[in-house]
Amino acid sequence: MSALMSDPTLVVLVWASLAAFAAGLGVVPRLVRGSLSRGALGWANALAAGLMLGVAYLLLTDGLGEAYWAGSAGAAVGVGAVILIRRLLGTAELDLNALRHAGPEYGYQVMLVNTVHAAFEGVAIGAAMSVSTPFGISTALALAIHNVPEGMVLTEILHGRGVRTLHAATLAVAANLNQVLVAVVTFALVSAAPAAQPWALGIAVGSLLQLVLAELLPESYHQAGHTSIALVALLAMGMVVGLAGVGP
Amino acid sequence: MSDFVSTLAGLPSVALVFVYALITALATGLGAIPFLFVRTLSDRFIAYANAIAAGLMVGASFGLVGEGTAYGRLETLGGAFLGVLFILATQRMLGEQDEEALVFGAATGEGARRMLLMMIVMTVHSFSEGVAVGVSFGGGVTLATLITVAIAIHNIPEGVAITAVLRPQGVSVAKCAGWSVVSSLPQPLMAVPAFLFVEAFRPALPWGLGFAAGAMLFMVLVELLPEAFNQGRRTQVATLTTASIIAMVLFQRLL
Repeated sequence: MSALMSDPTLVVLVWASLAAFAAGLGVVPRLVRGSLSRGALGWANALAAGLMLGVAYLLLTDGLGEAYWAGSAGAAVGVGAVILIRRLLGTAELDLNALRHAGPEYGYQVMLVNTVHAAFEGVAIGAAMSVSTPFGISTALALAIHNVPEGMVLTEILHGRGVRTLHAATLAVAANLNQVLVAVVTFALVSAAPAAQPWALGIAVGSLLQLVLAELLPESYHQAGHTSIALVALLAMGMVVGLAGVGP
Repeated sequence: MSDFVSTLAGLPSVALVFVYALITALATGLGAIPFLFVRTLSDRFIAYANAIAAGLMVGASFGLVGEGTAYGRLETLGGAFLGVLFILATQRMLGEQDEEALVFGAATGEGARRMLLMMIVMTVHSFSEGVAVGVSFGGGVTLATLITVAIAIHNIPEGVAITAVLRPQGVSVAKCAGWSVVSSLPQPLMAVPAFLFVEAFRPALPWGLGFAAGAMLFMVLVELLPEAFNQGRRTQVATLTTASIIAMVLFQRLL
């Protein structure tokens, strides 16, 4: 086992897979408690937002080091990529948490949004792993936890469209699987060309921040009180910053 | 005894620290200048101004947390927790006031409450910044001018954030500049004692930095972003906020 885990690419593969499969755990609250309230969905979004904000902070502060200009240029590329893809797909102003009154095309649109969202998380995991293995593992772990509430929200939407719970869990994992590939590719590219590291970290920071602000927070404010949303998001962010200090 | 002697020897520099810190406070007022070029105060403008203020404050908080964790991670998080509680309590207190009793400039009610909260958050955050200035001066006054210039420039975006919240409520640009300076006045007041008693202030620094970051982040999440999303399109709000975060972090790192 330890011999296997000494291969850095394998470490990336294992941890990125863990993050992707965590999305399937999003069905657990549904299995335990049945349908989720609107407020609970809001908190799930806020939790996901706070964790992602914490990851962006760590990549920026602990990851980038002195490479400000390449990092900022990378961030601009990340933001631009998110905007461009969302515009091309026509999902830029889509209500991501429509539980009813949604058209037949809504189901695949939400899957598309989740798939693209997950790919950028892959960039974050791959770039963080290139900084150091412990740093990469804390990043992957935070994003794995982040994928659970995201899976919860997706499960709720899919359930509203008549999808069975097991199918919803499988679809949630499937939408996140691409982050394994993206993480491994990012890691391999940065290992081959170390000069690309601040760019990769920058792209991750820019895209993660943009995703938090364009996809997670706007929905949450419609679902629960502003105070509770802010508290949940800050608590999640604090957890990431705190755990980074005691990490392996 | 030796402490006392070195304190005496530092006296001219005390005045220097105060004057330098005062200059940094005045620089905050410069943040109002860009708003001279904005003529209409539409709903969109309110949304985008709030988004910019939110981004600048998140970027500043990232810097504060980064600096704080260098002194102590748990202390910084503890401070952030207290900062959130403080704003929560202040918010409750302001919420209990009569709508008519809450007046800020020409605004009353909800608008006045938001502006007051913004002023409280930014003023409170200046206390910790003042301590940070004083403690860093404690390392030696030779770099004083350089540090002062850096902090003065660093304060300008904070003036932008304050003006971005006050201006849409109809406060004049000149008054926005005035309020920005007021919010930074704790800086010289705190810098001097922190400079004189570095050893006493240093342990409190991560708590103070965390407090400021927690207060600002909470203000962003509870007031500025919901307001921005309410009035503007989400892609534009998200892009402006992200761009402001990155610009602020780059700005602080380069100085």
